[in-house]
Amino acid sequence: MPGRGGTRCRSAAEGMWRAVSAGCRLLRLVSAAGAAALRPEPPPRVFGAPRGACAAARGAGGGGVGALGEAEQRQAADTILPKFNIDFVVALLRQENAKDICVIQLPPEIKYCNYFIIVNGSSTRHLHAMAHYMLKMYKHHKEESDPHTHIEGKETDDWLCIDFGSIVMHFMLPETREVYELEKLWTLGSYDDQLAQITPQSLPEDFIFGLTPNSSDHLGMRT
Amino acid sequence: SITGACQAIQKLTRVRVVDNSALGNTPYHRPPKCIHVYNKTGVGKVGDKILLAIKGEKKKALIVGHKMPGPPMTPRFDSNNVVLIEDNGNPIGTRIKTPIPYILRRREGEFSKVLAIARNFV
Repeated sequence: MPGRGGTRCRSAAEGMWRAVSAGCRLLRLVSAAGAAALRPEPPPRVFGAPRGACAAARGAGGGGVGALGEAEQRQAADTILPKFNIDFVVALLRQENAKDICVIQLPPEIKYCNYFIIVNGSSTRHLHAMAHYMLKMYKHHKEESDPHTHIEGKETDDWLCIDFGSIVMHFMLPETREVYELEKLWTLGSYDDQLAQITPQSLPEDFIFGLTPNSSDHLGMRT
Repeated sequence: SITGACQAIQKLTRVRVVDNSALGNTPYHRPPKCIHVYNKTGVGKVGDKILLAIKGEKKKALIVGHKMPGPPMTPRFDSNNVVLIEDNGNPIGTRIKTPIPYILRRREGEFSKVLAIARNFV
């Protein structure tokens, strides 16, 4: 968690935003340092089929697997599917030419998810294609205990999202991203500027909570 | 005359818009009222879509909290809270300051977008 683009705001917002948008660079640094709870060895960045990455990872992480030959490793990899975790997801997104991959790791106090991913797409078709591809890979690689997921926002043309339990992914167009600024909200927390601009509602001076049926529901009335 | 809270949210209930959209926050001489609940029964609970009449226009909205006590171990709010959304499901506002119940995540439906712009969960 320290050093990641978590919700702790250690440097200036822009600097951290850049760091967070670099996304995988942080992941690689952290995993190389062995500080995070990821696998101790950095996963090799193989951009072939995911099976290829899996074979190399198994070979590297296996430790005592040196006795197996190359062909046998690949055969074993075909039956063992890679786990659907964050590195796998980021590798798939790179494969799909997703722009501006932003991975935010949330602290466990926010019991929403572990990772929050925001991805830019070049067009509506690109967003739909990416979302459907991610869902397909998830269905292919998930274990039996993981729940089914569905794509939300299929009727929209600028914002789709998928909730994978511990990972939540948002596919947006760049204009939509500018409007909502989700990265700012989830990294800055209470210090978000859009939140500060919401004028705080104040209670009227004669407000007494729930004393009589006539005095309640003051918040519903706008005069 | 003003009646107390009966069932959760049905036709002609006055609701409170909790996001920071312009439509929800500009003052108007009439409060936003529900005119239709998209449900088999006419009663809307947390996570149901309703049609709202705001400032003389019709807008869809999502219920995020009501005054009526729900199932045990779920939050009950002091006002009927609602978030404005478009017809395709995109929220109109960009931030939600009030707490949002966490059970929205488990329900079948398109709630991830509303959860993404929420600030804190209950």
